[in-house]
Amino acid sequence: MKRTSNILIAAALVSGALVSACNRGENNRNPGRHYMPDMFESRAYEFYSERVSTLKPVEGTVKRGELLPYHLKAADTAQANLVKNPLILGKADLEEGKRLFNIYCGVCHGTKLDGNGPLYKDGTGPFVAAPANLASGPKASYTEGRLFHVMTYGYLNMGSYASQLDREQRWKIAAYIHSVQNGGANVAAPAAPAASTDTTKATAAPVVVAQAK
Amino acid sequence: MYRRVSILMRKHFVSVLVLCVGMIASFSARAAGDPTKGKALFQQNCASCHNVHKQLTGPALQGVEERWSDKKLLHQWIHNSASVLASGDAYANALYNQFNKTAMTAFPSLTDGDIDDILSYIDKEGKAAPATDTKTPGTTTAGGEEEGGNGLLFGIITLILAVVALILMQINSNLNKLAADKEGVATPEPVPFYKNKAYIALVIVLLFIVGGYFTINGAIGLGRQKDYMPQQPIFYSHKVHAGINQINCLYCHAGAEKSKHAMIPSENICMNCHKVISDYSGPQLFTAEGKKVNGSAEIQKLYDHVGWDKTAKEYTKPGKPIEWTRIHNLPDHVYFNHSQHVVAGKQQCQTCHGAITEMDEVHQFADLSMGWCINCHRTTKVQFADNKYYSIFEKFHEQVKEGKIDSVTVEMVGGTECQKCHY
Repeated sequence: MKRTSNILIAAALVSGALVSACNRGENNRNPGRHYMPDMFESRAYEFYSERVSTLKPVEGTVKRGELLPYHLKAADTAQANLVKNPLILGKADLEEGKRLFNIYCGVCHGTKLDGNGPLYKDGTGPFVAAPANLASGPKASYTEGRLFHVMTYGYLNMGSYASQLDREQRWKIAAYIHSVQNGGANVAAPAAPAASTDTTKATAAPVVVAQAK
Repeated sequence: MYRRVSILMRKHFVSVLVLCVGMIASFSARAAGDPTKGKALFQQNCASCHNVHKQLTGPALQGVEERWSDKKLLHQWIHNSASVLASGDAYANALYNQFNKTAMTAFPSLTDGDIDDILSYIDKEGKAAPATDTKTPGTTTAGGEEEGGNGLLFGIITLILAVVALILMQINSNLNKLAADKEGVATPEPVPFYKNKAYIALVIVLLFIVGGYFTINGAIGLGRQKDYMPQQPIFYSHKVHAGINQINCLYCHAGAEKSKHAMIPSENICMNCHKVISDYSGPQLFTAEGKKVNGSAEIQKLYDHVGWDKTAKEYTKPGKPIEWTRIHNLPDHVYFNHSQHVVAGKQQCQTCHGAITEMDEVHQFADLSMGWCINCHRTTKVQFADNKYYSIFEKFHEQVKEGKIDSVTVEMVGGTECQKCHY
């Protein structure tokens, strides 16, 4: 009786010490151990799977519900000026465009579109090139098509945002930017849904620039 | 008129002299130019392609006036660079070819005065050395160390007290024995403590409890990685990016709204900013071990991976992926979807990932155990109003309207059903 209990104790102590010892390294650099790790590595097409995550979809694949591909090349800026927004966007979509703009663009271009986001901060931020002022000035006359084009391919020091934003999101952002540029003067009179929600209206210079058709 | 002025001058000779000397001193270095006005003009017109200290789309402008032989030519270049190129100026053409024949935008609207202002700003800025951050590293006494020291202290005190208690017990039993001897009471031969059944039983019970505690705790911890903080191939600080520079989590982890995975950003997303930001100038970084980290060298590691040449400003080599070490891992038998939690559930990233904006190196904040999931599902109230996702639960909507229930938890909409996550 005594012997079995001794053995039991010894077994409990040893296994306890072993199990707790193999879980952490110094500063928790070690992930610890798994029993039955067979379901930890997914066999399915998963993002982190080493075998298949780097596979690209078949050429020409269009995701379900996604807009059709954009065929212009990076240098086709003249044609890009003429591209029309394929979506019919309401007020909620422009609000969504504003939200997306503040996440993806506002960090450089500023949430007021004045080219003074937290990464630039009047030249004191880490980003040493001045981002474009989208609210007024030469960029304020860009058409939605051109804005979409720049988001897709990047321009000068700006990179492409096609991997972060799908086509629909990019069009929503383009529509939002267009709706608040030049103090909202870009939007034609019948469809000016976002102009009222615009906070930059008061500060942006009210310059009316003829739009390229 | 002239006489009056000269009389005035004679009167105020000294002050005029001082004024003249001052003017000469301030103007001797450069022609007239207002650096503060120049700064505004520079940021408005030039800064998207030029920096004073660094080469961007165009060359670094420090010392630009020394590089041009003729100041008039420089003015002409800024007004209309194409005309200078056409005139066949050797320096201008060499510059044009060096920058891949990218023509500089013409600025006909800038007056000569404006250009002088800009040049004086460049001169002033160029003389001020690029801001080097020499912040003293903060005191990095880790809280863990202090805790460890306390633990040791308590251990030693406990040990001393135990020894004292043992000695006192021994003395007590000796005294008892002496007293019994004196009174002539025969005492049985004392049993040594290691053969004493009461002692042995006590020790067995204690060891069993302690051993069992460690065994069960260790077994529960098997396969869980709370606090796991691996060393990543590049010292990427979330504190610098998401905290100091206020980049939204979704900027890099764009998938969190759209898919099951939050997405480890691909390198092109890094390069969106790091094409321009090649030097780190924030506060000194330290690893968890307390080693200093050279931020600029870490950015260089990114360039090595993507094959970017930071002086030529182009991709020169084929890239190879950065092999980040995965921290959070749910086994395949659990279904977890980021978009469901972020979009429909409107959860903040920090709820599950902790204070990411203060972590230099990310560690796993939650233990990702089933108990942790279920607990949250039981207590979290879903945003029922104005959320189209839950419009199907008509009964709950009615009950909320009637005031029978004040809120709906995740559990009530099926958040603790087994097959919700295991199927």
